[in-house]
Amino acid sequence: MGSTLSCVEILTVLLKRYIRLSGDPLTKDWLVLSKGHAAPALYALLADIGSIHYGELMKLQSLDSILQGHPDIAIPGVDMSTGSLGQGLSFGMGVASWIKSRGGVGRVYVVMGDGEQDEGQVWEAMTDAVHRGLDNLIVIIDFNGYQLDGKLSEVKPKHYMPLIWRTVGWEVFLCDGHAVASIVSALDGAIRSRKPAVIFAKTVRGKGLKQLEDTHIQRVE
Amino acid sequence: MVINTPRDAIGTVLCELGSEVADLVVITADVGRATRANLFGSKFPDRYFNVGIAEQHMVSFAAGLASAGAVPVICAFSMFITRAWEQIRNTLGRMNLNVKIIGTHSGFSDHPDGSSHQSLEDIALMRVIHNMSVVVPADVKDILRSLPVIIKEVKGPLYFRVGRDYSPSITDEYDYEYRPGNVYILEEGSDLAIVAAGPVLQDALEASHKLKKYGIKSTVINLINVKPTDEGAIEKVARNCGRIVTIEEHSVFGGVGSTIAEILTQRYPVPMKVIGVLGYGRSAKSVRELLDFYGLNSESIVKASLELFNGKSKQSTK
Repeated sequence: MGSTLSCVEILTVLLKRYIRLSGDPLTKDWLVLSKGHAAPALYALLADIGSIHYGELMKLQSLDSILQGHPDIAIPGVDMSTGSLGQGLSFGMGVASWIKSRGGVGRVYVVMGDGEQDEGQVWEAMTDAVHRGLDNLIVIIDFNGYQLDGKLSEVKPKHYMPLIWRTVGWEVFLCDGHAVASIVSALDGAIRSRKPAVIFAKTVRGKGLKQLEDTHIQRVE
Repeated sequence: MVINTPRDAIGTVLCELGSEVADLVVITADVGRATRANLFGSKFPDRYFNVGIAEQHMVSFAAGLASAGAVPVICAFSMFITRAWEQIRNTLGRMNLNVKIIGTHSGFSDHPDGSSHQSLEDIALMRVIHNMSVVVPADVKDILRSLPVIIKEVKGPLYFRVGRDYSPSITDEYDYEYRPGNVYILEEGSDLAIVAAGPVLQDALEASHKLKKYGIKSTVINLINVKPTDEGAIEKVARNCGRIVTIEEHSVFGGVGSTIAEILTQRYPVPMKVIGVLGYGRSAKSVRELLDFYGLNSESIVKASLELFNGKSKQSTK
């Protein structure tokens, strides 16, 4: 729940302002929620833009619901089945590569978690993007400061991540992940970038629910 | 051009298909030269993706390409593809994506490199993934007849298991067209059936010949389609022959023997012997040495067959 709430504004801005829907895989914009555990935020937005019915939301994780605990392509509007961390960036790069090689106009947005940066596959992927010239690829990292077992600083520090991405050759942007204007400004910059771009969005885990804010607590009792 | 090795066959077929299938792309992980995927790369550079030594990324990257409309073929060492098992399971399998995985250097084919490079578990690991097909061609001819059909006609994830260079000519003299899901009966006899996949099919045919002098007439099956396979044909053979020996260049767990046993325990159980590997492999100067060292040869098949006849030849039981 906490990491769902930390990326609500990010997903809202993406889906309501940037993502262009289309039936053509080379024309549409793709959204990969690599941090699949934030699925409820994605589902709420999908209901808001009309991809799924609002009534479905309260059935989340029920046996008779299309809304799985983690995003699944059987759900209208979901572009990648996720849930296992560290895989969305590679997938997004495959999509972005094909769009570019076929002269498409679609962009690929990949939303990752900060804890997710621990996965080795993230390194495998992020070191492969710059030389491919994937200027249609934008990564947003929801930097809420927590991973499953606690604060990043206690489990595995990640404060150096922006430097690493920049050194590898990515265009790096920073923003306030709860301020719409700040997110928009970073995304506009990322879209203008001629290199693959990554936005580190500073967020608060559990934003909006006082019992959860800036804690590792998973659920509201 | 004469093609003698599995990897040369792979490279050649992919190059030929590149012109025919406009959306065909090949992805490799710094083994373009070793797998001959680079032949495709030099002909179609804009459809060739070498992602570096990054197998997990390679699989998810191919998944993205497939989702966007490409027809991806992964070419890498079978052993190191298995380190991306979870990506294969969670993305290729779960999303049922049209990605073909060609695992080269399988079994003992990378004989000098030893156990770290010798994949003896890959059939088992791939077979358990829902939606995943598993194809194990016996020789170069089998690759040439099956791979074009697979890339052009089969939709969905598929694991294609080949070796590096060791490839005795086995199926050249047999006239069959590859169809997904089929099995091929190369020799027919009603006393015993020998089921093999991969280059050890040669040992199966050799054993079948040797068994004749014991008065045992055997059926030999090329189980090129391990999954899905022709269960009806397997049952029919079991009913006709009543005894089955399986042989594979793979662990005895979860591979060819298990496939046959799973089918027959539910349809028509018969006594079986499963010949395969227990262990991790080791270095040797040739594949043949390793096959013999681990007992993957016609002698073992003959021995197992005779054991199914209670240690006696068929003639002496009469």
